[in-house]
Amino acid sequence: MSLRIVVCVKYVPDATGDRRFADDNTTDRDSVDGLLSELDEYGVEQALKIAEASGDAEVTVLTVGPDDAKDALRKALSMGADKAVHVNDDDIHGTDVIGTSAILAKAIEKTGFDLVVCGMASTDGTMGVIPALLSERLGVPQVTLLSEVGVEGGTVKGRRDGDAATELLEASLPAVVSVTDQSGEARYPSFKGIMAAKKKPVESLDLDDLGIEADEVGLAGAWTAVDSATARPARTAGTIVKDEGEGGKQLAEFLASQKFI
Amino acid sequence: MRFLLDAEQRGFAASLDALLSAADVPAVIRSRAAGDDAPLRALWRRLADVGVFALAVPETYGGTGLLPVELVLSCVELGRHGMPGPLAETFAASTLLESVGQTALLPGVASGQVILSLAAEGGYAADPDLADAVLRVGEGKAPLRQSLDPARRVGLPEDAIAVESGAERATGLAALCTAALALGTGRHLLAATVEYARTRTQFGTPIGGFQAVKHRLADVLLQLDFAEPLLYGAAVALQDALPSAGSDIAAAKAACGEAGYAAARAALQLHGAIGYTDEFDLSLWIRRARVLRNAWGTPSACRRRVLAGRIDG
Repeated sequence: MSLRIVVCVKYVPDATGDRRFADDNTTDRDSVDGLLSELDEYGVEQALKIAEASGDAEVTVLTVGPDDAKDALRKALSMGADKAVHVNDDDIHGTDVIGTSAILAKAIEKTGFDLVVCGMASTDGTMGVIPALLSERLGVPQVTLLSEVGVEGGTVKGRRDGDAATELLEASLPAVVSVTDQSGEARYPSFKGIMAAKKKPVESLDLDDLGIEADEVGLAGAWTAVDSATARPARTAGTIVKDEGEGGKQLAEFLASQKFI
Repeated sequence: MRFLLDAEQRGFAASLDALLSAADVPAVIRSRAAGDDAPLRALWRRLADVGVFALAVPETYGGTGLLPVELVLSCVELGRHGMPGPLAETFAASTLLESVGQTALLPGVASGQVILSLAAEGGYAADPDLADAVLRVGEGKAPLRQSLDPARRVGLPEDAIAVESGAERATGLAALCTAALALGTGRHLLAATVEYARTRTQFGTPIGGFQAVKHRLADVLLQLDFAEPLLYGAAVALQDALPSAGSDIAAAKAACGEAGYAAARAALQLHGAIGYTDEFDLSLWIRRARVLRNAWGTPSACRRRVLAGRIDG
């Protein structure tokens, strides 16, 4: 039977744009162009590599998000994923990571899976805990933050590079893995891939389809609440040391006064 | 007739933009100029991986069949990022390989393993030293010479393959692709110059604030924006095999070549002395613009072609 891989991806505001919060302290997704989270591209890439190596696999990309989020799915499909699932419901607005993991877990179960692949974190929320939450909700092992990953037989194996040690990890399938930005450059969609993506199926699901009550998710159902947000203060002008013969000394004094040397 | 690019075409352009943005093209140009072609060949294959060189290769040989609009938008991106090598020539020559009995090369062209070049009648081939096969329209041979563009050499080797038929359509395609490369080159030159005018201060204010500078930049933008519809119009004319395709391509080539060159002149002047500096990457685009203006039809030759089309039609 073919290996069923589900990749969780997120549609995020472009990090190079002027990102801000909306009036209800949720991420403003309207004023900045969105795209497939760069960190999730690594997840898609590794899933496609595993699928290519297995020769008999199906890669499904899954996202939870508003209408525009289908662009992220389209990008992943044009990279080579086989099909997509889009969970979209007005009641999802404001959902925190706990609620998001509940929605993803239901959608993953509904899709059917042997391996769930995630990026290391989203580039907007940067929580990075979705893989662990999914592992708990799905009742399967987690092997996270891998810089190398592969599937052999019924086992997923990978390498996690830490500051102090490199760990070689493995888990029996089904399992949840997350991959880092060191796992290998994500491929660029090819012309044929882009044209083929037009014909690939995108399944739309709402909360009813997944059997989730509206009050379990959304702003009201969130376990965390954002009371206020303050913009980072503008950077102040630096100190300019004018060299009049004593420049080096002044520079050293400044660095010493800031305890840099 | 559709004049707007669709989502897939825009997506393909974005994919090329992302690939080339991450590729450090100036380093590739400098390597080629210094005699090391390996980085260029590596980038060429990566471009093939996303399907660029399949766009002029027949479907039976691993291509998509000739897609002029997609070729044009690819060449605009390639020009914008300064991609060196015989791009227009490879696209054009790959449409001729069947007629010269060299179909065995076609899968390699699509996969980026094979680079081609093509010489116009009485002209040189671009980068014949890099090309795995050179085709020629007409007779002749010429030794290898350095072009004004440091990444480009021209010449016509003795073993070039003579083209018997289909030359007019292929040279039209080369002119169209060159026009697109010129437009892309001009787009980059303008963007870089606008950015420079924002940050370079003189008399205590950014030079972009001076009206004379603004007008110079606005003139370039107008020229580029007015050339672009001619370019895509010509691509559609070629795609639909309209009788006007030849003169449409000539009009696009004249307009894009001149616009790219105008962008280079403005970039050189507004950057001041730094624009002349070899170490400054912009100089690579400035010299490219001059070459592309004249390759596959000088502006005056293109204007003559447009006029002839008017009189004949």
